[in-house]
Amino acid sequence: MGGTLSLAKAEISRLRRNKRYLIFTVALPVMFYLIFGKTNSTGYGVSFKAFYMVGMASFGAFSGAFNNNALRISQERKDGWIRQLRLTPLPAYSYVVAKILASMVTTVPSIAIVFLLGRFYGGVQLPVWKFLVCAIAIWIGTLIFAALAVACGYKLSPDSVQPAVLVVFFFFSIFGGLWFPLSGALQKFGEFTPTYQIVKISTDVIGQGSAALVNVIGIVAWFAIFVALATLAVRSTAETV
Amino acid sequence: MSWPAVEGRHYPGAEAGWWYGDMMNHTGTGSTTISRDAGHRSTSSTPVVSFVNVSKTYGSLKAVDGLSLDLRPGETTALLGPNGAGKSTSLDMLLALRKPTSGRINMFGEDPYHAVKSGRVGAMLQSGGLMPEVTVRELVTLVTGFHPKPEPVDVTLKRAGIDKFADQRVDRLSGGQTQRVRFALAICGKSELIVLDEPTTAMDVETRRLFWSSMKEEVAEGRTLLFATHYLEEADQAADRILVINRGRLLADGSPAEIKARAGARRLSFRLDKVDEQFLLGLPALVNLEVRHDFVQIQTSDSDATLYAVLDAGYRPHEIEVTGLGLEQAFLAITAEDDRANGADHNTADHNTGETI
Repeated sequence: MGGTLSLAKAEISRLRRNKRYLIFTVALPVMFYLIFGKTNSTGYGVSFKAFYMVGMASFGAFSGAFNNNALRISQERKDGWIRQLRLTPLPAYSYVVAKILASMVTTVPSIAIVFLLGRFYGGVQLPVWKFLVCAIAIWIGTLIFAALAVACGYKLSPDSVQPAVLVVFFFFSIFGGLWFPLSGALQKFGEFTPTYQIVKISTDVIGQGSAALVNVIGIVAWFAIFVALATLAVRSTAETV
Repeated sequence: MSWPAVEGRHYPGAEAGWWYGDMMNHTGTGSTTISRDAGHRSTSSTPVVSFVNVSKTYGSLKAVDGLSLDLRPGETTALLGPNGAGKSTSLDMLLALRKPTSGRINMFGEDPYHAVKSGRVGAMLQSGGLMPEVTVRELVTLVTGFHPKPEPVDVTLKRAGIDKFADQRVDRLSGGQTQRVRFALAICGKSELIVLDEPTTAMDVETRRLFWSSMKEEVAEGRTLLFATHYLEEADQAADRILVINRGRLLADGSPAEIKARAGARRLSFRLDKVDEQFLLGLPALVNLEVRHDFVQIQTSDSDATLYAVLDAGYRPHEIEVTGLGLEQAFLAITAEDDRANGADHNTADHNTGETI
């Protein structure tokens, strides 16, 4: 386990030096919130500033866990870094575990910054426990996308992972309602996405103090699906990594 | 191309001769005496690595075909073969990156995966990459930390000759520097066995010399070294033992001197007034033929038999010369003869001009 943790630490220090990563996980959500956060509207029965706080925190966490990991894993597979690691005493699972741990750690500040912005810039007034529950829900949601990133990174070449990441990223951002609340037919469709469920759990907690069971089940189901895909991808590429 | 029963007859294990003789069955010389001239090497120690009849197929392609070999402790062995001979696949299987289709590989008495995970082997592959965005020192420190009984990081940096640029970022190094960092990762764990796949590719002459001198330090500490190369010079200078492989099979196994002196690696040349190429091509033990006007040069696995056949046919060549060949020619002869026996590439075997490597 020690080796896995030191690898995770190295991954975190790499992420801190990575401008692209900082822009997508921290700068963009913060910028969007500064621009749109004070819009006078509502979403899913809560104020827009509360909805948008949740949406932007999810957006940062999603891109941090998904975009970056998928691109990196695919590239590092091609470069042979994963192969090199397999030649060390480090256990076989360490690479993936370290990647996921690193994104779990690095999304914490990005979620925290957007929430602080919501509280002190947007003026979202909530009991502390609601802030905490929402932040944790979003943070756990990060895991889902880290698993999807592993599947994409192992299965796709660096050339094809780039467009695939963009498609997945925009699809789940728009149809999950991270940028604006869904309604009507769009909501009927978007309800199935994991991003929608993460946001909905948070807005339900903010508005009613509890989350709907169906959304929690949805999250668990997506997690199971992505983990299965990731496992298949890792296994099927074992001889070519 | 199938090789029935070759293993059973010619590979008794660690004490097998350097020349397994399986290809001799196809050369027409009928010589079997050189297949068992063993006994020149210590056989007391248990092997560090053993391949027992290992094969690997990709679809219909046989990359490794019934490979059996043993590596003894403290020995430096070169795995020599042309591109596509099965060197990298063999090393991949040894390092648990690929599974053999059949056969068994043992390392330190356990399966390759567990041997790698116990840190007893350090490896550098052509296809191995480095983690970007960290400094050389950070990377070496990280990987050193994965090993149970590692070398101090500063010692590794010095030995690999990378201490001068230890604070540079890994992704900003030249090809030769990168190669040395990969070498550092192979030795940082103080492993008993070091496996290197084409270690000096991308290195200039000076770096190559430095590389081998630091490698000798490693070996002097009693480590076993296995390296794949297609630089014959390197195999000649660095290895105690050379394994020649072609088409996934072991063709020869011996010291550089033995490989060079191997019966048949000789060149026969003479002048002949009326050259009949068809006749010459039919000569026994012929590996390679070159004709320039009246000058005939033949690479042969049995110079006596070849010359007698010329004389028996009534020819009276003059300026006859027979010379033993260097490692490169011996290697060429061994692989070309194998290709020829397999009927794969007649052009290479018949009218070779020395450019097959």
